[in-house]
Amino acid sequence: MTGYRLRWMSRRSRVQFAELLKVQGKLALREPYALFGGLALPAILLAVFGFIGQAQPGNVGSTGLTIIDLWTPTILVLSIIFISVSLPNTLVRDREIGWLRRISTTPLHPSRLLAAQLIIDLILAAAAVLIVILEGALVFGASLHVQILPFAVSLLLSIVELFALGLVLVALVPTQTVAQPVAGVVTFGLMFLSGLWVNPAQVDDPLRTIMYYSPSGAAVRAVLDSAFNGGPSYAGLLTMAVYAVIFGFIAVRYFRWE
Amino acid sequence: MSHASRELTGDASEGSHAKSQSVVTVEHLVKRYGRLVAVNDVSFSIREGEIFGLIGPNGAGKTTTVECISGLRAPDSGSISVYGLSPQKDRNKMREFAGVQLQESALPPRIRVGEAVKLFASFYSDPQDPNELLESLGIKEVENSAFRKLSGGQKQRLSIALALVGNPKLAILDELTTGLDPEARHETWSLIERMRDRGVTVILVTHFMDEAERLCDRLALINHGTVRALDTPEAIAAKAGGSRVRFAPSQPVDEQTLRAIPGVNEIERKERYVTVTGTGDLAGALINALAAIGVRVSEVEARAGNLEDAFIKLTKDDASSVGKGVQA
Repeated sequence: MTGYRLRWMSRRSRVQFAELLKVQGKLALREPYALFGGLALPAILLAVFGFIGQAQPGNVGSTGLTIIDLWTPTILVLSIIFISVSLPNTLVRDREIGWLRRISTTPLHPSRLLAAQLIIDLILAAAAVLIVILEGALVFGASLHVQILPFAVSLLLSIVELFALGLVLVALVPTQTVAQPVAGVVTFGLMFLSGLWVNPAQVDDPLRTIMYYSPSGAAVRAVLDSAFNGGPSYAGLLTMAVYAVIFGFIAVRYFRWE
Repeated sequence: MSHASRELTGDASEGSHAKSQSVVTVEHLVKRYGRLVAVNDVSFSIREGEIFGLIGPNGAGKTTTVECISGLRAPDSGSISVYGLSPQKDRNKMREFAGVQLQESALPPRIRVGEAVKLFASFYSDPQDPNELLESLGIKEVENSAFRKLSGGQKQRLSIALALVGNPKLAILDELTTGLDPEARHETWSLIERMRDRGVTVILVTHFMDEAERLCDRLALINHGTVRALDTPEAIAAKAGGSRVRFAPSQPVDEQTLRAIPGVNEIERKERYVTVTGTGDLAGALINALAAIGVRVSEVEARAGNLEDAFIKLTKDDASSVGKGVQA
């Protein structure tokens, strides 16, 4: 047994990957979609609800929470949704134009390109979370008293689950022209289920249950509960974990490099 | 001779026989897509340092063949060896020394020329200097331009840069000059010649006969997935293309007389001109034979057969033998 020491990457692989991350990062900054959807749009949405909150101060109904408190988790999840559905925009294109195939003729395995893209989007998601939390707290005075661990776990599971859904789209959608409308429909579905327009607490079953156990609804509820209600329910976290596994399985099963 | 000793002599003679050694061998390659047989029993070998052409009409199986050589596709049967490696099993090792330029492969629209070349350089253990490469390809001045802003010629040169930046021993170039203007094509040709001068073995896929004639040391003409001719461009042109003589006889000559002249294959008449195609010293034979029966010839125009004639003849033979319709 020679390779006893566990080595994740050789030195050369690290150099390769660093260069790849740099280029993918630059490309992400030049592509308007993920940046606008992931960073600018949530900031604008939060501002809209922030101003509504200032116009209608005080708690919403019997929740004990202000408008900005209530909407911040939804907007956090929305920014993750926007970044996830931007995955097919770049990856389906890269596959369609033959870039992934071109990469596969070099010593670099194209899975590294996928990994680099996911890391870039993870950084974007982290930036979006920071922007929304800071904007909510500093500009609109949203409550910052959250339990860090459940909050972080809920956000992380949301990211994993929704990114996996994005990769399902990458795997199943054949071309860029199809990717645009499909991503649009999925985005709107997820936005609705997250409770952006209709709060699940205010609708009857079965819609309420559907929303609570949908990918985006479960995410919003877990983030909200970990911020204000003493922690997310295990059922909610489990729902997201199950989605992550199912989506991950479909994405891996049907992913094509060319 | 035992297997072991053959290996030993093979190793010992590697240096001295480098020029004539086969570095790529393809044997009885077969590749099907569903029911369509794209490549049907193709065999050839490529020597170190030569430019080897694969020519043939669209859909002949050229691209499939090079895709199998570069390990992008698995053959259904037959064997391929590239510098002693199997493109399927040793794909990782092969990627280090084989540079590939794919047909219809684009880059992300917003990646810049310099970024792309530097990125690719980072993939290889012993890359060329990206700056020098850009300089030598004449795209240094568009280093900071995005891929989508490049002209067709600049895109092709970038594509060549990506194929060369890893210092490959073998470059596989598929439809390199398609869509380029004549000037850019000629520039690209000199680039490929410079690659050969540096000792790179080149596999060139093309459907341009002038390109193949100018660049290739040897070539395989492929049609309907089979090799129809395998030789130097000159030899293929001479064998299959034949030469052509057009002249105006002082008086009408009947078909039988012309057919009796050695080397004559085909006869065509247009107004007062007769065009004869055939092999050998056609013009000399014609003039002598006609002079012997008192016919003078004037306005003689002779042309040696070229690759294009050979190409048309060989692919036409196939079309008539297969029936109508060439699979596109």
